[in-house]
Amino acid sequence: MVFPAVRYLVDTTREHQRRLKLQNWLLLLIRTLLVALVVTAAAGPTSPIRSAAGHSPAALVLILDNSLSSGAVVNGTSRLATFRTAAREILDRATSEDHLWLMLADGVLRGGDPAALKLLVDSAAPAFTRLDLGHALSQGQEVLTTQALPGELVLVTDLQRTAVTEAEIRFPLLIIRPEDDPSGNLGVSGIEAGPQPWSLGGGRAIVSVVGDSNLSLPLTVRLGDRPPRQALASAGAAVPVILSSAVSGWWPVQAELDPDELLADNIRTGVVRIAPVARVSWDSTERFVAAACEVLERNGRISRGNEVTIGPVAPGLTVVEPPQDPAQLGAINRALAARGVGWQYGTLNAAAGTTDSNALISRERVARRYTLETVESGRTGVIATVGGAPWIVRAGDVVLLGSRIDPEWTGLPISAGFVPFMDALLNRIARGELTVSGGNPDEPIALPDLVTAVRQGARQWVVEGGAPFRPGDIGIYFLLAGRDTIGALAVNFDPRESLLARAADGSVRDLWRGASFASPSGGPRQAFSLGVRTDLRGPALWMVLLLGLAEVALASARRKSS
Amino acid sequence: MNPSVSSLGPARIDLLDPFEVSRLGGLELVSEGVVEGFLAGLHRSPRRGFSVEFAEHRMYQPGDELRYVDWKILGRNDRLYVKQFEEETNLRAMIVSDISRSMAWTGAPDTRLTKLEYAQRLIAALALVLLRQRDATGLITFDDEVRSVTPARARLSHWRTLLRVLAALSPGKGTAAEPALRRVMDRLRRRGLVVFVSDLLLERETALRALQFLRHRGHQVIVFHLMDPGEVNLEGPAEARFEDPETRAAITLRPKDWADVYRDTVAGVVTEWYKACRKRGINYHRITTDTPFGVALRQALARPAGLA
Repeated sequence: MVFPAVRYLVDTTREHQRRLKLQNWLLLLIRTLLVALVVTAAAGPTSPIRSAAGHSPAALVLILDNSLSSGAVVNGTSRLATFRTAAREILDRATSEDHLWLMLADGVLRGGDPAALKLLVDSAAPAFTRLDLGHALSQGQEVLTTQALPGELVLVTDLQRTAVTEAEIRFPLLIIRPEDDPSGNLGVSGIEAGPQPWSLGGGRAIVSVVGDSNLSLPLTVRLGDRPPRQALASAGAAVPVILSSAVSGWWPVQAELDPDELLADNIRTGVVRIAPVARVSWDSTERFVAAACEVLERNGRISRGNEVTIGPVAPGLTVVEPPQDPAQLGAINRALAARGVGWQYGTLNAAAGTTDSNALISRERVARRYTLETVESGRTGVIATVGGAPWIVRAGDVVLLGSRIDPEWTGLPISAGFVPFMDALLNRIARGELTVSGGNPDEPIALPDLVTAVRQGARQWVVEGGAPFRPGDIGIYFLLAGRDTIGALAVNFDPRESLLARAADGSVRDLWRGASFASPSGGPRQAFSLGVRTDLRGPALWMVLLLGLAEVALASARRKSS
Repeated sequence: MNPSVSSLGPARIDLLDPFEVSRLGGLELVSEGVVEGFLAGLHRSPRRGFSVEFAEHRMYQPGDELRYVDWKILGRNDRLYVKQFEEETNLRAMIVSDISRSMAWTGAPDTRLTKLEYAQRLIAALALVLLRQRDATGLITFDDEVRSVTPARARLSHWRTLLRVLAALSPGKGTAAEPALRRVMDRLRRRGLVVFVSDLLLERETALRALQFLRHRGHQVIVFHLMDPGEVNLEGPAEARFEDPETRAAITLRPKDWADVYRDTVAGVVTEWYKACRKRGINYHRITTDTPFGVALRQALARPAGLA
């Protein structure tokens, strides 16, 4: 039928279809929400109560990050002072019914009442140790797991990027961290003294500087009480410093930057052994040994003398090569036994092998070798191995080589590392002096087998060789074997503490799911409220009811309109 | 006065059902009857132009009619002043009528006039009222283009001319109001009155733009939105195919199912027209074809803003 107002009809149907579509979407949304809410309500959801003035009893682990970086001064106030204030405020809010633990940078969880823990907080000073935040949180959670009360973690920290490590967070976590950016900082991250001992003529140390500042600061390096050397250093720089000679002995090397906002990382101490070069006697017919010794002699690394003999078993310090003729093996073994050496040569092994690389030697081909057999229990004094079997051993004042220094036995004499190997063998290994090593406070350091005690100043710890040693403080530790000093440890702060850059909240939240953040001023008020949760089933069911009513209304309206 | 109309006695022909009135006689007779009834029902002149109310004096100018000279002032002051009355100048009115194919439709051929037939009678009556006021009145008709242009004249005899044009009207094709309104602008150089009669089944924005332009030129604009009651309330068989007589667009649906929302849509369209016109200072009147002519005339003429 003819109808002029068809355009109104078209508009009507189009508008109506649009409305119907909108209603359909709304219905779909409401029904989806309904199902989701019913499922959520069935799961028994809870929500933290954030604004409780008083709070229900809770178990709270407070981690106060007083690691080295907390000593940084920002806007005239040290970070640690701010942290201490926040920690005290948290403890002030605690009641006698709460269970409390405090962890400092030493990683030890200390339980106690608020008053006792406040004393600990007040006495906390910047430590030289690094606090691994992920590890600390995991430890805190272990304690909370055993508690019947709702648990909560509060971490008061500068949130250094280098300290944030992965952890699975199972309890509410409140992170109280400063909101302003840390100041730029430079720190001494290492002193590399190179091969030791240094000769009496001195040596060269390389000082590494780390930091997140573009500044350059004057660097002063001292060897004992000798006149200092100075250079300008910036972040990432490795500054070589020539240090003049001193008399024989163990000498501290101290590198110091001019003061910045974090003072504690401006000084680092190393240690060097200074001794006269080894006086060596060698057989000039041994082609490769003689060539290496002559090079070392020309460079002042050894001199001719009878302190160390390389070749057959001789009085004094001896580096013994196996004989060319197997018939002489018995005589050598008897001489070794007569010297009281606990090792001897065994059978000839012609199976090709490769040395296991270590600090002394890289991977070298070995064509022939004698097995080195110990005549005592245990296996001490192994210096190098081939396929796990001893290849170079030291016993008393004798060093036994498993192969002759000859290309027919091993590729070592024709390798680039041969002369440095001979330097270390004659100057250090044959003389019984060990590598000077380093470490960080409270971290285990593996000690050489021969070490019987560790000494720092007047303090001395009896240790078992091969066992890990955990130095408690920074400084120089000497390793003793009986009455002899056979090495030293330079214990310094972890260089990662010099990098003050803060981790972004978002990346931390990705790593520690559910973490919430607050400033030191407002954060303490949020403590003791995260772990206490309110039951959300009631509101969820009310929402279900309301949505149900909305669904009925919309569905009937839709039915009517369609 | 035609005897047949006079014989209607005291009955107000302007208030009778338009279809019944149209059966009484031709266009002329019906229009006169409507106007007589309409004017008789007024207590006073609908326009100030009818009045002879004194407004002010001004100095006599050569050419002024002597009958307006104020002799009393001449006697007192020996100066020639003439009286001025309100509405001395006649209005120029142009009626613009849509005669597109959609206007030739009625939802009830046996009981209702088509929109075009209704428009013819309404325009005739309106023109008679205006001409009796000595207002120059013209007529422009359009569908998809301007079909006829009758210039505005103030003589009463001009009404016969308009009647002839109206009687000869036949439904056109599509609807395009803008050219017709532009022609009005050309014709009405002085500020005047434009009466736009249409079912408004046209491009709203285009028409509004043209009407607004008329307003900017200072014209008073009245829009008569003619609708058949069958366009207001959707009726029909159980299922029907509705076809636009102009565009041939068609839609098939069940009128009963859509009647409510259709009524809402129409109400929305009327509201939009009303708001759009009001915003532009245009008088808008929706008139269904079962509305007595007198009521429609009153809507237009009783408002001061209408013809003032």
